[in-house]
Amino acid sequence: MRRILILGVMIVGLALLLWAGWHNLRERKLAMQKARENQVVLIPEKPGDAAAEGGDEFLPKMRGKKAPAFSLTNLEGKKVSLADYKGRPVLVNFWATWCGPCKVEMPWFEEFRKQYASQGFEILGLADDVDAGKDVIAKTAQKTGVTYPILLTDGKVQENFGGLDVLPMSFYIDRNGVIVEQTAGLGPKELIEANIKKTIASGSTTAQAGGHPAGAE
Amino acid sequence: MTPRRLAAAVLLCSGLSFAQVNLSAPPAKSKQYITYVTEEQVVTAGKKDTLELRFRVNEGFHVNSHTPKSELLIPTNLTLQPAAGVKASPAEYPAGTSYSFSFQPSEKLDVYTGTFTVKVPVVAAAGAHTLDGVLRYQACDNAACYPPKSLPVQIAVTAK
Repeated sequence: MRRILILGVMIVGLALLLWAGWHNLRERKLAMQKARENQVVLIPEKPGDAAAEGGDEFLPKMRGKKAPAFSLTNLEGKKVSLADYKGRPVLVNFWATWCGPCKVEMPWFEEFRKQYASQGFEILGLADDVDAGKDVIAKTAQKTGVTYPILLTDGKVQENFGGLDVLPMSFYIDRNGVIVEQTAGLGPKELIEANIKKTIASGSTTAQAGGHPAGAE
Repeated sequence: MTPRRLAAAVLLCSGLSFAQVNLSAPPAKSKQYITYVTEEQVVTAGKKDTLELRFRVNEGFHVNSHTPKSELLIPTNLTLQPAAGVKASPAEYPAGTSYSFSFQPSEKLDVYTGTFTVKVPVVAAAGAHTLDGVLRYQACDNAACYPPKSLPVQIAVTAK
């Protein structure tokens, strides 16, 4: 009788162990699945598994919305507003001096800026630095070789653009001031160019025809 | 029969505690990328001793070490608030490991991944104490970086 009791207890113990393991596995699978669903594939050949643990669920929540207006100071101390670029396709890129991936794509932006300048395309680099001073930001930007305007953020602009949980973060704004695309993290160069083309094309039909705003896709 | 009973009890308890650990695992809602692996610190009262504070970086992420290779990078840094009965010396940080982004293999970073331990030399008076502190760090994954974070840390210290 006692043996049966002991055996029973052992079976219950084992069952609990197995159940705990299975439960854990199931939870992990669910979390992974959820993360994958919301994940932006930053580098296609190496999809980051980071989102599963960190709970970073990037959603391009500003896509399709009107770009929030801002007026910020550039490195020369002059005020620069998004409204200054009305009617032009603009890429608003948030970056920071401490962000490695940001500095990888900045030279690409510079290249595309020159390439698509004839179509009115412009880039505004918004430095999301808290600790770094203007000089450090200027020096870092210079090192990447960019010549497009670098603006100093005021804390509000980040919030207005939906809060920045990830860097780099880019907003592709068409001629009508609509955010056509929002991306987070370093993506392939080809994707950046495709987004720029899409942004230029998005507002151009209505701008030329003078018709109704096309809005976001 | 007693050893068998004991074995069964141990097995049962281990099963229960294992299940409990799994069930109480925090949901992945926090925006923190480091967890303080809470352990009660027991030190010798009135003598020089060391607190060993373990931190775990979320899988797939890395944070800069205390001594990153560029002054632009934000180092991992622990600050402790003064507490009565505990005299803490400056924290001692482990060396980081070398890391490079796949898109920038030439640039070597000095980072913490997985678990790392920060040591704090202390002299504590006999009794139970609580030390409050903040671990400041900045995390990245393989393609993106996350704004600097401050992780509140509460350390339970018992000096005997």
